Amino acid sequence: MKTLLQARGASLKALFLVVISITMMVVDHRFHHLEVVRTNISLALSPLRYLVSLPVTGGSWVGDWFTSHTDLLNENAALKAEGRILNARLQKLEILAEENERLRSLLGSARKIADDVIVAELLSVDQNPYRQLIEINKGSSDGVEIGHAVIDDFGVMGQVIHVNPQSATTILISDPEHAIPVQFVRSGTRSVAFGRGSTSQLELRYLPATADIKIEDELVTSGLGGRFPPDYPVARVTEINEDRVRGFVTVFAQPKARLDSSREVLVIKPRQ
Amino acid sequence: MSRLRYLVVYLSLVVALLLMILPLPLPDWVQIYRPNWVALVLLYWSMALPKRVGLWFAFFTGLVLDTSQGTLLGQHTLALVIIIFINMNFYHRIHVLAMAQQCIYVFVLLLINQLIVAWVEGIMGRTPPLLSFSGGPLIGMLFWPWVFVILRDIRRKAILK
Repeated sequence: MKTLLQARGASLKALFLVVISITMMVVDHRFHHLEVVRTNISLALSPLRYLVSLPVTGGSWVGDWFTSHTDLLNENAALKAEGRILNARLQKLEILAEENERLRSLLGSARKIADDVIVAELLSVDQNPYRQLIEINKGSSDGVEIGHAVIDDFGVMGQVIHVNPQSATTILISDPEHAIPVQFVRSGTRSVAFGRGSTSQLELRYLPATADIKIEDELVTSGLGGRFPPDYPVARVTEINEDRVRGFVTVFAQPKARLDSSREVLVIKPRQ
Repeated sequence: MSRLRYLVVYLSLVVALLLMILPLPLPDWVQIYRPNWVALVLLYWSMALPKRVGLWFAFFTGLVLDTSQGTLLGQHTLALVIIIFINMNFYHRIHVLAMAQQCIYVFVLLLINQLIVAWVEGIMGRTPPLLSFSGGPLIGMLFWPWVFVILRDIRRKAILK
């Protein structure tokens, strides 16, 4: 009799916890009351995130330590040469930027050329196969806010969706729930690129069959919607599927950013 | 003093969580095969210390897992509570079985865990990659004998009953 009661107690407890779990999911999905819980647990987990990033940081530190003198000299020389070339290019770029600014002011539009950036490092990658989230090591105390765009040295990676004091969660452009407004560089056609859950492919749906699109076309952010600053590289067209019956074209594009391997990222703060 | 010994339970779960959030530069199709280490370790403790590691334990572990995985709060919680509940009803019969049979049992539980998580994703309109969701439980099953032996040795060293 006693064991029977115990068994019933366990079942009731399980049922109770199941109901609580389901309620929490609904609340978490619809409202934002549970953000506090998430933030606190996340804060408690932050030492773990740093621990996890240690092998990589440690590895590169050990690597630095054992780099030979000649290697360093060679690298130094190469970097100096590269620096000189980049400097020369930069001069040209500055002139072009000035010219651009002048032309824009002539046209009467006030678009900002430069944005403020925060350099951040990858802390951890979300293992959930349905989501494409990464955790970065800069948070609200560094000025990161929800909605800031995140890029690497090749292109747009995603945007910040959750901030903690010392870290922030970023949704990648390849997440199935993410869409980014883009523009074709060559033709100027505007569209929206949807994530597909794979780091190597974005999808542009329902483009008119008459749109001027070719394989290898470059896509940049269009700046519409106000989330992403304009003119950052996003992807390159890899495949064009024509639906002759409905008169639409679906385009697949490969993201420019190295979504699965970049460790250093930049958070872009839009200038007020 | 005896409370302090139970630290190893928490420590083993922390290590399991570390294994799960460790960023590995692997292609997408390999990522799917990463097992749910936390569920695996939790299953062991729930078999070894059923009085200590029960439903509430599963609940709070699930909360931590949800936060670190970016899923809805409650998603892993629900899955873990259910598999630990199943395990509470079966563990007497399981720990007398041969290791190969135990592995199959663990596979089934991990699969149920994965199915519940995938099911919630499906409700929210994220199409789960079909077929691939049994990959994690499969690898988890292959690791079970090692997890079992390692944690058993740890438990004996710490004299946990």
